[in-house]
Amino acid sequence: MSTTLVPDILSVEELTMRFGGLLAVDRVSFEVPRGTITALIGPNGAGKTTVFNCITGFYRPTGGAVRLTTHEGREVILNTLKDHNIARAGVARTFQNIRLFAGMTALENLLIAQHGPLHRATGFGIGALLGISGYKAAEAAAIERAAEWLRAIGLIARADDPAGSLPYGDQRRLEIARAMCTGPSLLCLDEPAAGLNPRESDDLARLLLSIRDGTATSAAPTSILLIEHDMGIVMRISDHVVVLDHGKKIAEGPPAAIRQDPHVIAAYLGEAEQE
Amino acid sequence: MAFSAALRDAAKATAIAFGLFVVMVGLRTDVSPTGALFLRTRWTELAMVCALVFAGRLAIGLWVTPRFLTNAGGSLAAPLAKAGAFFGMGLLVVAVVLPAIPGIGRYELDLAILVLTYVMLGWGLNIVVGLAGLLDLGYVAFYAVGAYSYALLAQYFGLSFWVCLPLAGILAAFWGILLGFPVLRLRGDYLAIVTLAFGEIIRIVLLNWVDLTGGPNGISGIPRPTFFGLPFNMSGDPGTFAGFFGLEPSPTHRVVFLYYLILCLALLTNWVTIRIRRQPIGRAWEALREDEVACRALGINVTNTKLTAFALGAMFGGFAGAFFATRQAFISPESFTFIESAIILAIVVLGGLGSQVGVAVAAIVMIGGFELFRDLDEWRMLVFGAAMVIIMVLRPRGLVGSRTPTVALGQKRSIGSDYVSEGRG
Repeated sequence: MSTTLVPDILSVEELTMRFGGLLAVDRVSFEVPRGTITALIGPNGAGKTTVFNCITGFYRPTGGAVRLTTHEGREVILNTLKDHNIARAGVARTFQNIRLFAGMTALENLLIAQHGPLHRATGFGIGALLGISGYKAAEAAAIERAAEWLRAIGLIARADDPAGSLPYGDQRRLEIARAMCTGPSLLCLDEPAAGLNPRESDDLARLLLSIRDGTATSAAPTSILLIEHDMGIVMRISDHVVVLDHGKKIAEGPPAAIRQDPHVIAAYLGEAEQE
Repeated sequence: MAFSAALRDAAKATAIAFGLFVVMVGLRTDVSPTGALFLRTRWTELAMVCALVFAGRLAIGLWVTPRFLTNAGGSLAAPLAKAGAFFGMGLLVVAVVLPAIPGIGRYELDLAILVLTYVMLGWGLNIVVGLAGLLDLGYVAFYAVGAYSYALLAQYFGLSFWVCLPLAGILAAFWGILLGFPVLRLRGDYLAIVTLAFGEIIRIVLLNWVDLTGGPNGISGIPRPTFFGLPFNMSGDPGTFAGFFGLEPSPTHRVVFLYYLILCLALLTNWVTIRIRRQPIGRAWEALREDEVACRALGINVTNTKLTAFALGAMFGGFAGAFFATRQAFISPESFTFIESAIILAIVVLGGLGSQVGVAVAAIVMIGGFELFRDLDEWRMLVFGAAMVIIMVLRPRGLVGSRTPTVALGQKRSIGSDYVSEGRG
């Protein structure tokens, strides 16, 4: 999908993360081509979530660089930014253990994701307090966008229910919709299929493909980077797979090639023969 | 419950009440002028108590119990929220007409002013603790900053109350931001300890900076507020409030004026809070209380958002402080001890984090109730403590623990307290 003319959406160069004496990520480099679903896989403890946290700003990497080229073609060096600025630059994420605002409604969750533009529309709180700004229109647009996403994930009927009362699978989808409401260039998903039953997994796969192609809502096609343990989903939907083991990249390529890669098989199943 | 059953139930309750109160209320030993004890009977009071019990029990039997039964299963929050809205309007009406109600004298108005001061402080702290979920144990510091700002500005520069009121709020907000910058990266218990220390530091500085603040002697002779330039006094000159409006000079005028002043200030706090809650910044506060990490992932600047909550809460504390100074005409560090912070926090927690009506009721119960039990002397602390324990056992999330959504596609349904988080600072 990516051509040489279009720069990759995300490029990770020599990323290193050290916790004291522990080298969690060791000079990992890979690209997320624009318009693809890229999966980051590996056995437990391979450093997938650490890479993720470095990209999304929850950790500051010890070395290396993370470069994002946004929809508009703007290049941002992510590893120098604070986490909320990374989100504003166009990287949205979800969490392994769902982090919704449980006491707020599904709709409110999606509105908080649009905090930045809404807050600017209120004149940083003061204008709207006095009722003299164009906040009403901005809020109506934000609600329309939220409703669009609620329809896309099939939760429009439960828009006014607290997020904490939704079933687990719905909460997963709502978290993805919330991340998408920030209008990201890159969507990062940390084990989105964890704990889902096969039917819910299928729904999720369809949702992710429609986000990639931009058919879910009126939002632009969005590249996706995901960590996943469910190999069924990974092999079915991803265009590009990066395999980590013990903090190092051991393979990279299309899913069909990864399935045959001896290093990957060894990492998952152990060495066939000891020498 | 059928009417006859409710009637029987009410009769039973009345019989029990009669058995209890016949000796407690009906009979009373008093000291006669000669010094001997004699037994006084109070049958009218006893009858009133019994009638109240009967009416109350009947009402519970007829309306409350059936509703509880049909709503079994957690949907109780919605009718409660609706009742809360009506109740809030009722409270407001009573508050507005209070000085005109016959039988309300100087003492009752003074008490109402005190209660309203705490309602305002509770609403101010509710922004910080209830909405943003930041546990602040040093809120009284901002109250002190407001009070001393007015006292010192009036003393040294002769500024009037109406000039000092906004200044006091701005200064308190400024101190809130100053404290907030280093402190707000802390969470939960650590934040609580540091804010507690801040509250004590302010008090100790006020106590020891004798040149400026008068130290433990405090500041006296703080100018009383004027009615937009017309002072309240007994002379009856045309330049005074009474003289200008052609009224009989009375000391009650000032009390009534102070009452309406604090009512307006408290309602301003309430209005701002309610409006801001429906805005992005208010929603961000609540999101922060629910999950700070998720907020960061959504591009919300957590530090700035916390600072605005802290500054706004501090500002209303400062307004209340300036009002306190002008009402008392005397302030000293004694008035700003930790127990004040604890009482304000207790009001917010008992009322229900984030609930405006709940906080108002809690302030009335805590401050008004405390006065009501004045006759119990040292026992009233016990009554007070027991009441708090009972409320927290029955309603662990405070009187009003549910949350009303700020926006809805369909109808706004209130959210049960099980889902709403308390926040970890």
